[in-house]
Amino acid sequence: MRVAVFRWKAIGPLSLLGAAVLGLWLVFADPIAKRSAESVGTTLVGAEVAIERLHLDLAHGRVEIHGLTVASPFEALQNLFHADALVADLDPLPLLEKKVVIDRLTATGLKFGTPRLTDGRTGGRSDGVIGQVTRWGEQLRVPALALPPGKISAARLDPAQLTTPRAAAALGARADSARQAWDAQLKGLDVAATVDSARQMVERLRGAKATDVKLLGDARRTLGQLKQAQDRVAALERSATSGIAALQAGAAGLTAAKQRDYATARGLLKLPGFEAPDIGAALFGSAAVDRFQRALYWVELGRRYMPPGLLPRATPGPKRARRAGATVRFPREHEEPAFLLKTAELSVQLGAAGTAPRTYAASVSGVTSDPALYGRPATASATAPSFRLGALLDHVQPTPRDTATASLAGVALPPLSLPSLPIRLEPGAGTVALSFAVHGDEVRARWTMQSDRVRWTRDSSGAATPSPIGDLIWHVVSGIPTLAVSASLSGSLARPQLAISSNLDRAVAERLRAVAGAEVAAAERRVHAQVDSLVDGQVAPVLAKVTALGGDVARRLGGERAQLDDARKALEQRLRELTRLPGVRLP
Amino acid sequence: MLVLKLIQSLFKALHSEGTPGQLAAGLALGSILGLTPLFNLHNAVVFALIMLLNVSFAGAMLGWALFVPVGFLLDPAFDWVGRTLLLETPVLRPLWTALYNAPVVPLTNFNNTIVLGSLVFALVAWLPLYLASRWGVVRYRVTVAERVKRSALYRSVVASKLYNLYRLFRPEA
Repeated sequence: MRVAVFRWKAIGPLSLLGAAVLGLWLVFADPIAKRSAESVGTTLVGAEVAIERLHLDLAHGRVEIHGLTVASPFEALQNLFHADALVADLDPLPLLEKKVVIDRLTATGLKFGTPRLTDGRTGGRSDGVIGQVTRWGEQLRVPALALPPGKISAARLDPAQLTTPRAAAALGARADSARQAWDAQLKGLDVAATVDSARQMVERLRGAKATDVKLLGDARRTLGQLKQAQDRVAALERSATSGIAALQAGAAGLTAAKQRDYATARGLLKLPGFEAPDIGAALFGSAAVDRFQRALYWVELGRRYMPPGLLPRATPGPKRARRAGATVRFPREHEEPAFLLKTAELSVQLGAAGTAPRTYAASVSGVTSDPALYGRPATASATAPSFRLGALLDHVQPTPRDTATASLAGVALPPLSLPSLPIRLEPGAGTVALSFAVHGDEVRARWTMQSDRVRWTRDSSGAATPSPIGDLIWHVVSGIPTLAVSASLSGSLARPQLAISSNLDRAVAERLRAVAGAEVAAAERRVHAQVDSLVDGQVAPVLAKVTALGGDVARRLGGERAQLDDARKALEQRLRELTRLPGVRLP
Repeated sequence: MLVLKLIQSLFKALHSEGTPGQLAAGLALGSILGLTPLFNLHNAVVFALIMLLNVSFAGAMLGWALFVPVGFLLDPAFDWVGRTLLLETPVLRPLWTALYNAPVVPLTNFNNTIVLGSLVFALVAWLPLYLASRWGVVRYRVTVAERVKRSALYRSVVASKLYNLYRLFRPEA
């Protein structure tokens, strides 16, 4: 029996099914696209992206988005921005290649930093780019100013951290082995036997005649042995002297080791820094690092999603019940990038201090997933009487260059809480500027804040508990009406260096030093005593051993040398008496 | 409910009027739907083939149902296969680059490691699965099919409403 290959009657239902799918897509395209845009945006930004309404008008190559809200990836209850409406003119042909090319985007009603009711941050602080930037910022964190009430405490001193006991033990071992070596060498000299032999020879010479040539020859050999023994003693003496000197240098080294141990113990004291740069870093370091972290976050996002070069790139696949896997892009020269926003015109609402928000223009261009294909860097710019922004992300070349500068003048600056201190700074209307440049792995950034009408308030929110240092700082800063802070960042991204100065530094540093100086000195004395108690018991016996060894060796060698000298004198004396006889001349 | 539907599919497929080859082809095509992530363009093509080709629709549904959990289980292996093919086989890079920059093809999500890995696996496994299931159906019909037909369970399944829907797409002899 021959079986038909095709089921022709299924064409009707299949066509109906296709029509139904198409109809459903037309009905649900907008919500599907809205959900996709929200999902992709949330993944890209690392914070919740919400869209009130999205309309796809593929016939005219247009997408309209109303009520776009992007949560801040940094603050829990703040939006990064909110846009009333966005209209994108799409190039329809690249859509067939699953590529999105936006010829022109207009955004109206852009407002930054609007409040929100829920935390829009997604993922943990240790995940993805935000985690990477958080870890980067942690290496820049400066300890907050802290002057504990009463005694300054110190962490427990671990004897294993001290170097002096180890050095003392090593020196003691060296002294012991030196003593053993010298003892063995002294014994090897056998001075007593040589001296006895010389004394016997002197006795034999007493009754001898000058003509007893054999005896005189023996006497001369004995005298030679005495001289050799003296030479060996002298050589041992020289060796012992240098050995003793080395041991004494080692003993002096114990003093230096002890000084290092004092420094180690001082490091365990929980002391605030009293130098002016330390004060600036402690007061404003946290705020500066936050700004730099945010700038770096956008740079890293740019580098992740706008990488240089044309190599295949894997990014996490779409979320689904099955595994997401990785989606790999294969950019090719002379083709469209997977995403390209050619130009965007933004209408930004900004408000100067005490005035109603006004609308200013901003523009963005060249934002693309494949900068090497587009061949031009991404730029952003905005200019307003009180606001200036310029950014350039150049990932066209293999080494990416990212620069951004922004300044706000005459705008109400956000309040700032000083770290770990119950003091809140309200800068009022002032100027704040940030410049951030990353070339490859090298970073150079600067954040400045200036205000002439600063208001200081005691922070009663409970974020920082009252402390003596809080009172002290309050007394210093509350009378200062101006503020000028400058933070700079330099070096490589792996090893950045932060320097912060402010007009408050010197005043606070002097006050701190005056108040806390005596307490710090007492604390240092306490840790010194602790080191002494751990070290002295082991050092003193070793020093005594070295001293005793030096004296002992010198005494013993001196005694041996004296015996040899006496024996030699006696022998030479006797020989001279014999050789005084007339007509006899010793050979 | 899912288990009941699975049993229904199984019975309908095994006792359909279709030949073992039709049943096996349907099951093997259905396995592609189950093994690969469902909402992808290639599955629309597979579904159209299931309807247009004179294969067992019930067998396809059975293959789909049976291989969905297999797909979930094998996702790590699919990811590895896809990653190897897409990223670690330089000789294939020109092919992927050409496909990625061709119209429509990127809409298949072939450049996703799970999609490509599972599709390659499903295509490679298609023929062995077809042959094995055809042999299995033949053996079943020769040995136990008549006894099962007389069972109460089979009669209750056949009497269900779903069975009537199935009859619309039963294979033509």
